[in-house]
Amino acid sequence: MNRRTAVGAGLAALALAVTAACGSDDNSSSSSSGGTSGSKSYKLAFIQGVAGDAFYITMQCGIEAEAKTQGATVTTQGAQKFDPTLQTPILQSVIATKPDAILIAPTDVSAMQQPIAQAKAQGIKIVLVDTTLNDPSVAVSAISSDNAAGGKAAFDAIKQLVPGGGKVLGVGVQPGISTTDARDKGFADAAKADSSFTYLGVQYSQNDPAKAASIVSAALQKDPDIVGVFASNLFSAEGAATGIRQAGKQDKVKVIGFDAGPDQIKALEDGTVQALIAQQPGTIGIDGVQQAIKALKGEATTTNIQTGFTIITKDNLDSTGKDATYKASC
Amino acid sequence: MSEAQAVRPAEVAPEAAEEDPPAGRLQRIARLQALQILLLLAVTVGIFSVLKPDTFPTVFNLRGIVQNTAILAVLGVGMTFVIITGGIDLSVGSVLVFSAVVADKTMAAYGGTGWGTALVGAVVACLAGLGWGLLNGVLVAKAKVPPLVVTLGSLSAALGFSQIITKGLDLRDAPRTLVDKIGFGNVVGQVPALAVVAGVVVVGGIVLLHRTRFGLYTYAVGSNAEAGRRAGVLVDRHLIKVYALAGTLAGFAGILNLAFFQSTTIGGHSNTPLNVIAGVAIGGTSLFGGVGSVFGTVIGLFIPIVLQNGFIQTNVQPFWQQVVVGAVLVTVVYIDQVRRAAALRGARPGLAALFRRRS
Repeated sequence: MNRRTAVGAGLAALALAVTAACGSDDNSSSSSSGGTSGSKSYKLAFIQGVAGDAFYITMQCGIEAEAKTQGATVTTQGAQKFDPTLQTPILQSVIATKPDAILIAPTDVSAMQQPIAQAKAQGIKIVLVDTTLNDPSVAVSAISSDNAAGGKAAFDAIKQLVPGGGKVLGVGVQPGISTTDARDKGFADAAKADSSFTYLGVQYSQNDPAKAASIVSAALQKDPDIVGVFASNLFSAEGAATGIRQAGKQDKVKVIGFDAGPDQIKALEDGTVQALIAQQPGTIGIDGVQQAIKALKGEATTTNIQTGFTIITKDNLDSTGKDATYKASC
Repeated sequence: MSEAQAVRPAEVAPEAAEEDPPAGRLQRIARLQALQILLLLAVTVGIFSVLKPDTFPTVFNLRGIVQNTAILAVLGVGMTFVIITGGIDLSVGSVLVFSAVVADKTMAAYGGTGWGTALVGAVVACLAGLGWGLLNGVLVAKAKVPPLVVTLGSLSAALGFSQIITKGLDLRDAPRTLVDKIGFGNVVGQVPALAVVAGVVVVGGIVLLHRTRFGLYTYAVGSNAEAGRRAGVLVDRHLIKVYALAGTLAGFAGILNLAFFQSTTIGGHSNTPLNVIAGVAIGGTSLFGGVGSVFGTVIGLFIPIVLQNGFIQTNVQPFWQQVVVGAVLVTVVYIDQVRRAAALRGARPGLAALFRRRS
């Protein structure tokens, strides 16, 4: 009797699993075969750096829209954390589904090198979106924001807000991520070059808002006269804003965030964050699909594409800044 | 009493059953559980193979699944021993990272990219893991701090030390031979070296647990430490050894991790201990101690990885994958629990004490 119960319940669990599989085929994704054009319908796969992040969702929107125009299908997958140990098994599973091309945001410059090389060895075209690798030659194209310029733009924003100068702090994600490293460096270089500002270095939040909050509140204990904080990604900015509120300094410390997800826009509206450096994830996605399909058709591809930025402040939020904000869903 | 102890003949298990009938009974159930989990795994693989016949049951895919399970399996062996003693080790992920960092530093200082460097790294990693394991063991056995607290502490401390040594920057000095031959190499055909290495550890763990006095003592400590003590088992010393074993294996997993990711992945193992514990629990090892098997753990580790792989191929939304894996974990352990409770109800009244412990 027990055995029957056991097997029955096991099967029930499995049935649940399979139902989930079938159920979400319809609504969650993304399979859109608009291809009545007669040409071969390419199968693309997009692997996000982390699931549920407005930046990657906006990129996914761009990718899906462009894929539809081109008559290709696309599936999207992402890990729960920005972490190569979680992304590797996902990539490997995606490779097994034999897509024609993979658009991927690698979560580590070296750890993802070999797994992505495996994909190439299977004859799959690779496009790197947003982040890159130590040796990007495995990819037909790498598309990202010019992150060093983005870091510099963040410093320029602080300079506009605090013309008198003072101490500035960086809050990064974790070392080894090409994009945020470049942002931090761009910011650091610009800050060091300006003698009226003192650069306090960069602290790493491990992409954890709670940790970013404790870093910033601790830094404010040590240096109560900090005038500006540059948080180089979404969660770091959320945490930095919390840390400043904890210290009761929300009027004195200017926070420059990178990215423009719904939470940051709200923080900007509330006045906790004074400026946002918005990337163009939608454009990155569109370019990525175009490059992938060019490669599949045997046409020449552009090895490196850099996309620009929009600085969003409270003043332009209703006008030019509005289009630059990220989407929570397509 | 050590690993070097001559392997005892198969009669050990029945002997144990005579000494302690309920444990023997539960042991049989645990074995049954492992077989049913194997069945569940087979059914899961079967379903995905039917749904995605072109892509799921391919050599490339199965090879990938095995590769992704290998490092967890090494950790799972040590975790199974610890959990059978009624303890827990939350520190394995951090100890893995710490050992990888120390090994990386040593290999960079030693120089070279050949087998010699890799071997030095492996030894250093195991020693680093052993150190943390001994610390955990002494604190649990001698200082009587609950294992959950001790290993939560070493989880934090080991990760902290890793970040102090590296200043938060991942190190990437894994020698090429290690990466090419162990991390991504094949032993023969399409059999990944990583899986073979992990397989050796798993077989070693099975032998150690089921065929040696060390294993018998591990069960004894977990089912009833006091009875074990009266029967002459040096309980404290045995606990230290078990935690040391888990630490050493975490250290060994550290060098494998370095071979596979070519990076110390400092930020990357916060969920690893929980994933390993989930695998151990799915595999039929009781978190109350005294019952369990290494074989079950390995199968238990495969299930979430196969589910994830299959879900990605059938294009399930990422967030649902976690929900289903969680549901499977609780369902499987619940079924196990029901079966055990029934077995104990059928047991003699003299076993009431044991029953209380587990209910």
